[in-house]
Amino acid sequence: MTALLAAAIASEAASLPLVPPLLLAPGIDVVGSSAFGFLPGVTLVALGSALVEFLQPVNLLDVFLNGLAKSALYIMIAVGLTLIFGLMGVLNFAHGSFTMIGAYLGGLILVLTVSGATGGLARIGLFLVGVLVVFGVLAGLGGVLEVGLIRPLYDRSPVYQILLTFGLTLVLDELVRIVVSLYGLQPISDWQNVFGTRPAFIASSLGLGPVDVPGLALFQIAFGVVTVGAVWAFLTRTRYGLIVRAGSEDPEMTEALGIDVRRVFTVVFALGAGIAGVAGVLLMWDPVWGASVPLAAETLLPAFVVVIVGGLGTFRGTVVAGVLVGMVDAAMTWWFQNAISFTGLPQITIFLILVIVLIARPQGLFGVEGVGGH
Amino acid sequence: MAINPNHGSDPETNSGDEQSGADPETANGADADGGTESGVGTEADGGAEADPPAGRQAEPESGLESETAPTAETGTRSVEESGTLAWPARYARDHLVHIAVLAVLLLYPGVYALLIDSPLRSELVALLPEVETMIAVFYFGLFAMSFDFISGYTGYLDFGHAVFYGTGAYVVLLAGSGKVPLLPAETPFVLLLVLAGLLAATLASLIGALSFRLSGVYFAMITLGFGQVVYVFVRGWEFIGSNPRDGLAVSERSGFEIGVPFVDSLSLAIGQLTGDEFSVLATTLSTSEVSYYLVGLVVLVCYLAMQRIIHSPFGRVMVAIRENEDRAAAIGYNTFRYKLGAFAISGFFAAIAGGLFAGFQRAATPDSSFFFLVTGDALLAAIIGGFGTLAGPLYGRLFDEGVREFLSKAGEGGGLLPYLREHLSEATLGTDLVGGITVQGAIETFLNGHASLYIGALFVLFVLFVPDGLLGAIRARLGGPIAKRLPDRIGERLPERFERYWKALER
Repeated sequence: MTALLAAAIASEAASLPLVPPLLLAPGIDVVGSSAFGFLPGVTLVALGSALVEFLQPVNLLDVFLNGLAKSALYIMIAVGLTLIFGLMGVLNFAHGSFTMIGAYLGGLILVLTVSGATGGLARIGLFLVGVLVVFGVLAGLGGVLEVGLIRPLYDRSPVYQILLTFGLTLVLDELVRIVVSLYGLQPISDWQNVFGTRPAFIASSLGLGPVDVPGLALFQIAFGVVTVGAVWAFLTRTRYGLIVRAGSEDPEMTEALGIDVRRVFTVVFALGAGIAGVAGVLLMWDPVWGASVPLAAETLLPAFVVVIVGGLGTFRGTVVAGVLVGMVDAAMTWWFQNAISFTGLPQITIFLILVIVLIARPQGLFGVEGVGGH
Repeated sequence: MAINPNHGSDPETNSGDEQSGADPETANGADADGGTESGVGTEADGGAEADPPAGRQAEPESGLESETAPTAETGTRSVEESGTLAWPARYARDHLVHIAVLAVLLLYPGVYALLIDSPLRSELVALLPEVETMIAVFYFGLFAMSFDFISGYTGYLDFGHAVFYGTGAYVVLLAGSGKVPLLPAETPFVLLLVLAGLLAATLASLIGALSFRLSGVYFAMITLGFGQVVYVFVRGWEFIGSNPRDGLAVSERSGFEIGVPFVDSLSLAIGQLTGDEFSVLATTLSTSEVSYYLVGLVVLVCYLAMQRIIHSPFGRVMVAIRENEDRAAAIGYNTFRYKLGAFAISGFFAAIAGGLFAGFQRAATPDSSFFFLVTGDALLAAIIGGFGTLAGPLYGRLFDEGVREFLSKAGEGGGLLPYLREHLSEATLGTDLVGGITVQGAIETFLNGHASLYIGALFVLFVLFVPDGLLGAIRARLGGPIAKRLPDRIGERLPERFERYWKALER
């Protein structure tokens, strides 16, 4: 999450003049440090006044909208993972790599097709074309990998599937690194040209009542809502979705009813990989994430958090957990920018959510006991 | 979550055979040496017993066949013989392989120095790992072994193991730069290691107390969560320095010395720049070589300690937990306590490994010590070397580092490209392959510094086809630990071969 931190620091610098005079009053040391530097020398008074500031409706609305955008991203990242785990019990470590490949592929399509003269709507259209292409390519890749590599492992302990997908991550990341550096790009930093393909209204902020909302955030929220709706409709309104749900519930019974569960596995793995790729396409326009090779690890960990917090394999849980994590992330980013100088605050909170949920409710918020080796 | 269900049971059944030696059918059946081969061998031998001279004359080639396949007869005999051996001889025999491995490791720096002066210099520089690389193999191998100790033996995959490695490294570095209250910067390194180990064991008990209520994927995830919490915390911990993401380096303190604490004459410092040299018998060991032996010594002691624990009743319970936790609990073991104990021990040794890493490198970053991909590296080493074999991860790491060094960029220990540069002409290297990419360009793009790709691919192949890893696969083939089985197999064949030659001479 290097990019996230860098952006957070940058925005902190930008927002400094906005810190209310109250916080800068003498005696209240906002960014000072105590003996243990991480425990910021923020006094209770400062925390209190920051809380008052935080609770101002304008700030709350701002945090809420940012939180929704982040939630949309987290859900996008995690949905594929949860589908795959729910049906097959495979914790796919290569998920982040699929997202990263999606970001690069989507970026490639847009960089090749968008020129300076392309209008805003045309860019959105090309973006959607990119989404379709990336979905197709990654679904194909996912299907091939499932049939060729993961299928032989179903009768072994689930640990081997974790190990195999972990190995896949190494291979995929390194391959992308080779290809990317072949074209003279820096694999570890964001692909800057992609940001240039954003339509004007996404790159700018829109005044929405009292707050300024980045167009990108609105776009992400809309995209997330559409994806969640589509996946939900697929799972509950189509025959194949019914089969997928039945397979998650009881694979043996499903098989007994004459359904080729193995083929359903392949389809769902392909679907999950495809959605991961689409999430990558969405992330490539966001300067906090961007298309880079480390994006794989940056997205994999939050995806795990969301999936585990929601309860492994439940779609509803993933959506709720995604919103929870997104909101907490947005709130903690605000606190980091305004009151607490510890740089890792949003991230550490996300992982703390994971730990606390697992301690308090091991099966996750909506999980059913008995899934995932309990 | 049972990993490698074969491992726990295999040695038991085989050692049973070995001791009883009464049932020739079982002894032959348990031999993992391919079906067809041993079939032919037994047949030939059956003939030989009935009518030795005729059998030999009729099938002159069959001698070769039966040599590769031990027979029930000779197997029984060798066991009887070994029963009459005095115990020191038997002990030495059982540890012949260990002694051989130790001897190779002991001689390696000297042999390496000799070999790179030989005519095959450039080939060997390209192929053999440097002494410095071997030091890294040692300390990281210890970390991988400690990972195997908890994950390979109890079956609980700990994705946050890097926390303990990082704890070890940071304790040493913080204390070494005098940042820990009550601990002077010049505190003996060995004490720091023990201290780091105890701290990590405490930390492991805390994390374990919360995590061992879960199992399977959930355990892997909660430990990953804890690991990342600590990682993010350390990365932003301003106590460490103005830029905690760059980690910590020790500048003032003299070299970290391994030996008897507070006795200067009995301890030597490690590290490439700050280490001691040591003169013995007209040869002088360089700083790297001194570090090699000292780090190796600590790793050996830790390995022996872990090996001892694995083979104690405590270790048996760990294996029982891996094989069937419910049953272990039903027998009356408090599995939670055993798991917690194993976790603390594993954390202790992981911290020692981290401390050695920090002591040798004198610097560490959060990404090289606390990050979850560090655990991933240990996992890699453990799987390639053999999960649940304890010594395997060290070989796995050797393999891993060997490939990495072979494909490293120039100036990082030599490897393929420097070798090719030396031996191929400019014209060959400059040849266009496809689309304006030269041979050299292709090597630089696809091989150099991209060892992860090939190691990842190998790892996938290992998971698919050799799930027991290097050591595990050899053990399965021999039907027991190598040190126990190899002398037996050699012992089974040598007398037989001797006898055959003798008979041939008589005729």
